Amino acid sequence: MSDNSTQQGVAGHGAFFQDTNLSANEAEAATAWVRSHVDRRTMDLGERMDDIRDHMWELEKEGEIIVHRLTDQHKPVEVDTLYGWKKRIPTNQFWHHKSCGQCGNIPGYPTSILWFMNKFGMDYLDETDQTSCTAWNYHGSGIGNVESLAAVFLRNFHQAYVSGKQHGFENGHFYPLVHCGTSFGNYKEIRKYLIESAELREKVKKILGKLGRLVDGKIVIPEEVVHYSEWLHVMRNRIASELQVMDMSNIRVTVHAACHYYKMVQEDAVYDNTVLGGNRTAVGTSVAQALGAQVIDYSTWYDCCGFGFRHIISEREFTRSFTMNRKIKVAREEANADVMVGIDTGCITTMDKNQWIGKAHDMNYSIPIVADVQLAALACGADPFKIVQLQWHASPCEDLVEKMGISWDKAKADFQDYLKQVEQGNVEYLYNPELATNQNINMKAGA
Amino acid sequence: MSAQDTVLVVGAGPAGLSAAATIASMGKKAVIVEKEDILGGAPIISGYAKLVPSGEWAKDAIGRMVSRVEGDGNISIHKSAKVTQVAGEAGNFTATLSNGDKVEAGAIILGTGFTHFDSINKPEWGFGTYEDVLTTTQMEQMVTAGQIRCPSDGRVPERVAILLCVGSRDRQIGREWCSKICCTVSTNLAMEIKEISPSTDVFIYYMDIRTFGLYEDKFYWKSQEEFKTKFVKARIAEVTKSPDGRLLVKGEDTLVKRPIVIPMDIVVHAIGMDPNALNPEISRTFGIGLEKHGFIDRAEQYTNSQGTTRKGIYVCGAATGPEDIDSSIAQGQAAGARAVADLYGQQKIAS
Amino acid sequence: MATYAEMREMFDEIRADFRYDHELNGCLNCGICTATCPSAQFYDYSPREIVQLLWTENVEQIYDAMQEKIWACAQCMTCAARCPFKNSPGGLVMIMREVSIRHGMQSAKDVLRPFGRVMLKLITTGNQLSPDMIQPDHFPDWGPNIQKVEGDLRILRKAIPVRTLQTVETAWEVSLKTSVEMYTIWEMTGVLKSLETMDENLFDVIEDFIDEKREDYEDWLESQNDKD
Repeated sequence: MSDNSTQQGVAGHGAFFQDTNLSANEAEAATAWVRSHVDRRTMDLGERMDDIRDHMWELEKEGEIIVHRLTDQHKPVEVDTLYGWKKRIPTNQFWHHKSCGQCGNIPGYPTSILWFMNKFGMDYLDETDQTSCTAWNYHGSGIGNVESLAAVFLRNFHQAYVSGKQHGFENGHFYPLVHCGTSFGNYKEIRKYLIESAELREKVKKILGKLGRLVDGKIVIPEEVVHYSEWLHVMRNRIASELQVMDMSNIRVTVHAACHYYKMVQEDAVYDNTVLGGNRTAVGTSVAQALGAQVIDYSTWYDCCGFGFRHIISEREFTRSFTMNRKIKVAREEANADVMVGIDTGCITTMDKNQWIGKAHDMNYSIPIVADVQLAALACGADPFKIVQLQWHASPCEDLVEKMGISWDKAKADFQDYLKQVEQGNVEYLYNPELATNQNINMKAGA
Repeated sequence: MSAQDTVLVVGAGPAGLSAAATIASMGKKAVIVEKEDILGGAPIISGYAKLVPSGEWAKDAIGRMVSRVEGDGNISIHKSAKVTQVAGEAGNFTATLSNGDKVEAGAIILGTGFTHFDSINKPEWGFGTYEDVLTTTQMEQMVTAGQIRCPSDGRVPERVAILLCVGSRDRQIGREWCSKICCTVSTNLAMEIKEISPSTDVFIYYMDIRTFGLYEDKFYWKSQEEFKTKFVKARIAEVTKSPDGRLLVKGEDTLVKRPIVIPMDIVVHAIGMDPNALNPEISRTFGIGLEKHGFIDRAEQYTNSQGTTRKGIYVCGAATGPEDIDSSIAQGQAAGARAVADLYGQQKIAS
Repeated sequence: MATYAEMREMFDEIRADFRYDHELNGCLNCGICTATCPSAQFYDYSPREIVQLLWTENVEQIYDAMQEKIWACAQCMTCAARCPFKNSPGGLVMIMREVSIRHGMQSAKDVLRPFGRVMLKLITTGNQLSPDMIQPDHFPDWGPNIQKVEGDLRILRKAIPVRTLQTVETAWEVSLKTSVEMYTIWEMTGVLKSLETMDENLFDVIEDFIDEKREDYEDWLESQNDKD
């Protein structure tokens, strides 16, 4: 055994496991590197890592494409992504790109997003002129191809780009906000292919030309593809300080980050040094933390939920086995969580709908499943039925609501009263319903 | 000191120390400029334990190299100093140091070394999230202390996993090279751990085992035969925490062809060798080129060995790419000889 | 059973896809893809195996894998996120699926038959699951508790304070023009052709539906012109 030399020097990498008997100042100096976070993933990667956005700007310069820019009007906020690159997130003037699964079976999901935007006085447009991104079908059935996905991408983002015109604004007025994680991953990937492949661009230009969806004969590509959870992430402190009314400190939260959010086109996902030390993607977790809830780690954090795109519909033993074993059981038994929070349609659907069947396999685990924005909305006093629409969740969200101090039964009774109003035709709206469908209404004129 | 008598040696790690000693032994003067306040380079600064393949303690082996130059009248040393400017040309350089001094030299040798890969750049493998995830350099410090304990609660670990190729052979983080010596270091570490803590089993998770040359049986075979180290051909995907407080490594045993999730008490990252973080600055200051991975670029090796892209400036050791200590020392001597030949005006480079 | 030439042709088609070279650079056989694959936990499936078969150009076993194996993939792309070579086994599986469908492989038809229940809704509306499908009898294993307020679905959807969501048969209300644009995309990119190869009957039904919608749209356009 050698003498315990304390020549630890400046290049040491972490905790020293022997008493060092250092003075406070010396200890500070010895561990300052932990706090410096110098060069975390911004280490000069030179030409070793490629940012597709550089090529995008080149293409625009060459006159190949038009880039839908984020302008000051969109009040963009900067965030870091995986390699320390910057990404800009708009915080005003949105075009809502809706999600099939959310609108179909988790309507409280998009409703909560719009509810928050109303609270913040943000302008937006939600209209019928949007197709599904078609990626769920693509990944599920394979009856699709890159061309069809690319055409759909450009079609929708063209509509986002020109949508302001009918309301008296300029092109690019409303910036697209993608609600679904599958759409987000898909659009990131497709944008990359379009920028890299002149051949693909040529093919889809013909289609878009036929649809009348070119601007000056060019395709429109967004400067950033933005997921709503990234918007929620940059708004989280305002939500907590301006809107939050419930104390969440006794709520134990586990977070499931969607695969297609952070594993697809990895370099384009939000990482924040103040959230989980920047070691895992920040979205979802950051909101729960900002609300003051307890965020609990668990051993299968990185696992997929088992959605499978096709499996959840036609090979369900896989989906439910996987989600019960790797997510639900773990969140309950290991983390003893009160709620599992997700950031994507498919994950929420999978985890929410596949708990009851566990009983058939003697797996009696259940846990409330909600999206980050739904949890935040509850914490800000949104109605659990009218806004958060928890009546469509199969998982025991009533338990979560009760633990937060809200009476599920009372809220339900109120909602049932409201239903009677609806039957009479007295429907409440988050925005003027005419804006969704009537092309002749002019928002700018104060409709 | 006149330019014709003197070689400037930048960096006092194994390569630089070797170069300086060579220069002095050939009757010329060496000026060492070292940016840290102690000499010896990575083995001393990062507290390496026993070196491979000799098995000598770093403090002793490199310590001898340091004493050799410290006692030498023909070698002067500037610590805590960097070169900030270089003027002139081969045969007649003037270097300005950060401490204000100027050095006139006929040739320059760069022994500026490397930077250890920082595992925070590979967060899914648990470093920075879990206390019991360490790097090989931290493990070496534990070996020096003579005790193998879990940092989280001080218990003796039953199972230690060593993950190879952390920060090497990985396009996800722009590091597509092999760091050469980590396989040997890791197998050595496995044996040391077992020796200090016989109740601890060591598992090495690898893509390949590159204990090259005469290291094959000394390290790869010996660690298995005499120290019962287990090798699993699996690159670990993630390290998470098990409900019982241990760590979980998730991989596919590619030879048995089955996904595995194994509990471990300690996980060690066999970190690679990054180009010196200061290389862009060094490149500018000395007017030399970097190769595509970011290490210092070399001239053709056949008749211009240890040359850089600039005449009169030589490079040796891990500054050029991942390198083991023995080779760095040899290269230091080669660079020293080239530099001294410059001073005698005797260079012959084939055209 | 296909001939070697047919198998070779399919492999060549996979290789000719413009994404192939991006998604398959080589393979270090490290196993990190299979390590992290959810399907590898449940099925006899390994993304590493798929990559190895493609890389070593094992034409027959690739054809074999296209029978059932490629349908095990859950498309999560964790493999692509971890691979040190930056391959995308999940992406390669997608290419193989597309090729399998274009060739009308029986195995693809078999696998997709249960998925057919959503295909009609999907191709005609673009949405996978509509509110009227989230009923206890549609997916009984999702449990009886999937709608916690009793009542008429139409009214319940009307109670959502977002105009576009007040639908029952689609996820959100899609304008006629938008639907027609989507059909045009399906048509021009060969998606309808793939569908025809997979399920002729379904295709016929969908074609009729699309024609009807197109007529409606033409009518609507005319009525707009009349207005001017």
